[in-house]
Amino acid sequence: MANQSQSRSEDLVNKLKAGFPDAVKGSKVEGTRRILITFDKDKFLELAAFIRDELGFDHLKGIAGIDEPTHKLIKVLYFAGSFSRTDIEDIILVLETELDRSNPIIASAVSIWPSAHFHERETFEMFGVKFEGHPDLRKLLTLDNWDGPPPMLKDIKFPEMGQR
Amino acid sequence: MTATPAPTQAPPPSMTISPGNEPSTLDVSVGPQHPGSGHVRLLMRVNGDYIVSIDPDVGYVHRGCEKIAEYRTAVSNIPHLERPCIIDAIHLNWGYVLPIEELQHVVVPPRGQYISTIAAEMNRIMSHLYWLAINAGVFSGHTTIFMYAFGDRDLFIELAEMLTGARLTYSFLPPGGPRRDLPAEFQKRLTQLLDYFERRLVEYDRIFFSNPLVIARAKGIGILRKDEAIRLGVTGPVLRASGVKYDVRKVEPYGAYPDLEFDIPTYDEGDSYARFMVRFEEMKQSIRIIRQALEKIPKGPVARKAPLVIPEGEAIGRVESSRGEITYLVVGDNSDKPSRVKIMNGSFRNLVAMPYLLRNVHIADMPIIYGSLDYWPVEADR
Repeated sequence: MANQSQSRSEDLVNKLKAGFPDAVKGSKVEGTRRILITFDKDKFLELAAFIRDELGFDHLKGIAGIDEPTHKLIKVLYFAGSFSRTDIEDIILVLETELDRSNPIIASAVSIWPSAHFHERETFEMFGVKFEGHPDLRKLLTLDNWDGPPPMLKDIKFPEMGQR
Repeated sequence: MTATPAPTQAPPPSMTISPGNEPSTLDVSVGPQHPGSGHVRLLMRVNGDYIVSIDPDVGYVHRGCEKIAEYRTAVSNIPHLERPCIIDAIHLNWGYVLPIEELQHVVVPPRGQYISTIAAEMNRIMSHLYWLAINAGVFSGHTTIFMYAFGDRDLFIELAEMLTGARLTYSFLPPGGPRRDLPAEFQKRLTQLLDYFERRLVEYDRIFFSNPLVIARAKGIGILRKDEAIRLGVTGPVLRASGVKYDVRKVEPYGAYPDLEFDIPTYDEGDSYARFMVRFEEMKQSIRIIRQALEKIPKGPVARKAPLVIPEGEAIGRVESSRGEITYLVVGDNSDKPSRVKIMNGSFRNLVAMPYLLRNVHIADMPIIYGSLDYWPVEADR
């Protein structure tokens, strides 16, 4: 059973690599239910459409930013899952890409996965990542009078909350 | 870096719906003064009696949980990470602990898994009762069910206090397993309560779920089609009311769920009434789960000692909370503090359905649709 699941994940990865030999930079299958794909952001929309239409990952569970100031980059992680395909419904496919920390820009996934709408707005606000083509990229969670830099960046600290 | 001083007068709304073409429309702000289930503002554009479009303005209760989590240790994160949804604290806690245990290679003993499962299902009943009282009862003007559900919820809260020591914010599951074993008399009292509660559910059905007034107000209102529910990526009871059989307890079983028999209630209608009924049926399934768990609970240790350090690596854990799948990403860097915690919860994921559902509907249907989503603003804002 475990071997079957493992090969199921590897099949998915191989399909993706065959379709996008340049865009897919790396992959990691962790256990039976997690797949990590690192990709080049230039072909993101084609890759996402392929993942949705050919592999069957029909929704995004969320989008996470990870700030890495030492490497001068911001990672963006997309968590995709499937409701309609019962054979892969237990898999979480993580798509990871690295953006330049001084000017993080990536195409918006809203046209592929409408569920990305609020997740992209949050990542824009918290990490300053610009999602090109997002229909409504505005601040979401912070106060109206907040005019500082994106608060989730590692070098932004709030001493009044004990962050030093 | 710093927020500008708060203005003496309320700032002009920074989030407005772009000007419409129709001169007959009017923009109305609902909230953020606690319209019933927390601080959220819904900017509604109305035309006569109809809602044309809606723009949810969230963030009034944002407290930067993910930022705070980077400065606290793995264990001291638990109390504040369960605060976003205090009526569903066990699930928020459990989802956060699962990836940490995975990174630490700590396996919770079977008895601990059963106790966690019992606590989680009690929490699901309490959360659904809160929803039934406020989001279904008060929003539809049914004050009797508000009193009934809130009263019965307190009986569960008392037992939760007996088990964990706290009424709502338990911090019951640190990495390694639950903090306490079942107290003496707990099993007996919980069984008694479940017997009582099962009789009450019959009464709930009679006065609320089968009530012609409730059916008239909720049936056929706010329909979310199956394909739209999948496309929008909604989760939890909202998803299952649209006919998608997806529940993390079955898809990716955790705790004691693999050993227990239960059904996943689904409805094909996708309307507000279907969302009501999914939660009603889920309470019955929770009773079934707790009964089996109390019967099958093995003897042995409750918890194992877990290290304080989170090893380097990334792990994803998820549980089925009362508002849907809650997924945590935890990134460790060999220190006692996580270097990143990302929370993806049901309320924030279901937010995307709100502008979709609150469109071309009567203003009077808004509370029913909003209530049927069981949206918890604090959980969404984090």
